Amino acid sequence: MGETTAHGSAALSADGRQIQYGDHIDTIESVDAVFRGQRKLSFTYGAIFFAVTLGVPASSVWWKTWYSVEVWGGFTANYLFVGFFYFVFLWTMAWTYSKQADRLDERLLAMADEIAARTAHEEVQS
Amino acid sequence: MNTIAIILVIGLTLFTIGLSIFSRRFTRTTADFYLAGRKVGSFANASAISGDYLSAASFLGVAGAIYASGLDGIWYAAGFAGGFMVVVLFIASPLRRFGEYTVADFAFGRFGSDRIRLITVLGVLLTSFFYMAPQMYGAGTTWQVLVGGGFLGMDGYTSGVVVVAAIIAFYVSVGGMKGTTMNQIFQFWWLAFAMILMVVFAFGNGFNYPEALEAESQQPIVNTKAYTAEQLTAPDDAGVTPYDKAAEVMTAEEMTEVDEFIESGADGTIRIAYYASNKLHTDREMAFNEPGHRYNGFDQFSMVLALVLGTAGLPHILNRYYTNPSGKAARRSTFWVLVFISVFYIGSTIVGLAGLGIIREFLADGGTVNAATVHGLLTKPDQLMPVLGEILGGQWMMGIVSAGAFAAMFSTVGGLLIAAASALGHDVYEKYINKDASEAKRVAFGKTAVLAFAGAALLIGLAIPHFGLDQAYPALIAMMVTWAFSVGASAFVPMLLTGIWWKGTTEKGATAGMLVGLIGAISIIFLNIMHQLGTIGHEGLLGFVGSLTYPVLFTFPLSLFTIIIVSKLDGQLPKNVDHIWMRIHGTASERHEKQHGLDKVGSMFAKSK
Repeated sequence: MGETTAHGSAALSADGRQIQYGDHIDTIESVDAVFRGQRKLSFTYGAIFFAVTLGVPASSVWWKTWYSVEVWGGFTANYLFVGFFYFVFLWTMAWTYSKQADRLDERLLAMADEIAARTAHEEVQS
Repeated sequence: MNTIAIILVIGLTLFTIGLSIFSRRFTRTTADFYLAGRKVGSFANASAISGDYLSAASFLGVAGAIYASGLDGIWYAAGFAGGFMVVVLFIASPLRRFGEYTVADFAFGRFGSDRIRLITVLGVLLTSFFYMAPQMYGAGTTWQVLVGGGFLGMDGYTSGVVVVAAIIAFYVSVGGMKGTTMNQIFQFWWLAFAMILMVVFAFGNGFNYPEALEAESQQPIVNTKAYTAEQLTAPDDAGVTPYDKAAEVMTAEEMTEVDEFIESGADGTIRIAYYASNKLHTDREMAFNEPGHRYNGFDQFSMVLALVLGTAGLPHILNRYYTNPSGKAARRSTFWVLVFISVFYIGSTIVGLAGLGIIREFLADGGTVNAATVHGLLTKPDQLMPVLGEILGGQWMMGIVSAGAFAAMFSTVGGLLIAAASALGHDVYEKYINKDASEAKRVAFGKTAVLAFAGAALLIGLAIPHFGLDQAYPALIAMMVTWAFSVGASAFVPMLLTGIWWKGTTEKGATAGMLVGLIGAISIIFLNIMHQLGTIGHEGLLGFVGSLTYPVLFTFPLSLFTIIIVSKLDGQLPKNVDHIWMRIHGTASERHEKQHGLDKVGSMFAKSK
């Protein structure tokens, strides 16, 4: 069964569990493995991001030293973080995530090829 | 008459129109019109996304919100930037891999029903309208400072709204996504230039960040508000009148004017200044460098969630991710967006604070500005940027800043018009009304939709002062944009997150969650508006819900849990769920594209075959 997607022509297997673009195949097993790897990375970074981001209003509500004590000129720790260091935190997160995701992609692309080849081999043997 | 400034703005406008006409020759297909042919590289796309994203809310509203609210205002800057982390972590790459035109396409492709596609279209249109409103308000208020009066019998505000709506309608319908993309790239760099110039001039004017912050935090933040003579002398529950509060802040000379207004028995209102109270730590004075000017404990969390989740639910931003050539490029674009907009927003935080002291001193020295003021404060903080620009650098600087403000509106409303037009043109017309339409007819429908939505934007812009919203909220632009974020965060983000990351999401679950989020968010926002305008009371459940500035702390989890619970109860996964899963998370297409060099960026200026 053939289909045309934004990526070009793809061939979907009869049972819908395998899709082929040119020489490259995705099986549901290889995609699940890729998905798990990506999910772990994204949700680990997501947990850090939300912990820090929601930690700021939490500190604004409950941590008096954070929101009321001036640490440099008129800067409270709260003002300094939201007005400057939060942006640095975002750059660092985005850069390290982007790099790690690229590396993971490379690893997963190779792994997907291996899994797909193994699955195809097993199907031929059976 | 600010002749030089006006000439600069006209020059920028003519340039954007020229760019759209130039790009017209490269727009042949619907992929060109809606997605710039999917050939936009990371850096160019990051510039375009930044231009798309940095609206009047960012250019005028953030600095204005900081000027009016101090630390609570800075959260707009931090949150607007933080939203892109959610996009890069959870949305960007899978969305690009899925490879469709619009958010509604994703909903249809993932869940396979016309119902969810049409509900998504409705959500896209509503979110776009919420986002357009503050842009058009920004157009009117900037025109007031730049030009002063209006033309053809219209006042200054109306003239600004009409002119901006007409220009954007023209250039978007002519240039489509390619023209809009090129304009957004140019407009972003103009905005960045204007903001950096403001910061440099502020420091050149003797601004010292830590010292200025310390000085402004010595006294409580001062608010301004318009009252009738009757309201001025009406005591609150503690027996204190607005007049008493004004007397604590305003000079004897200023109070004489207030006294004369009351004694004259004149109709209308007079604006007074008074010390703001701290909504978060009610026992503390409302210092500029502390939280609590705008938000109580609930709103502190809800605002942050609205800002960081809302970006991932903005249809015009998500549309841009489809223009990336690969998932990796989508991530790289987002990193650059974060760098660009962070530098811009750090500039906004500096300008917002610098404006307080500089404008106050300028007025105290006998200077005059083309905007209403009370006690050395602008009554419309959203006019800070052009007013401060004129004080710091005369007409040239005012022209650069005003051109930046119009550029911000052009780029954002342009993106919104494309998103709204693609929702109606691509998702409704091409799918349901005229499936066999020729390419020319499809593009023609898209252009007609752009014109229709520009007309709607015009009406929304005119409605804001008509309903008194500009009097009900300080720093209205940033506030209204965050409503759009709230709608997006409540309606789309739970559907996108579960659709991408949980295979068990069903069509019924996603539809129910989207409806709950959409209706819930819009209802709470309208209750808050009625609460601010005084049309509903402050007591009871309605009063409590109406007091919520942003609904996301309720509506996001409500939508998410609705999706999960309904999906669990329903259990009817799409028959081709494995195929769908392979489209979202599969990598064969990327491996194929990489093998044949198809993941490389082409030229936006290539003609489609």
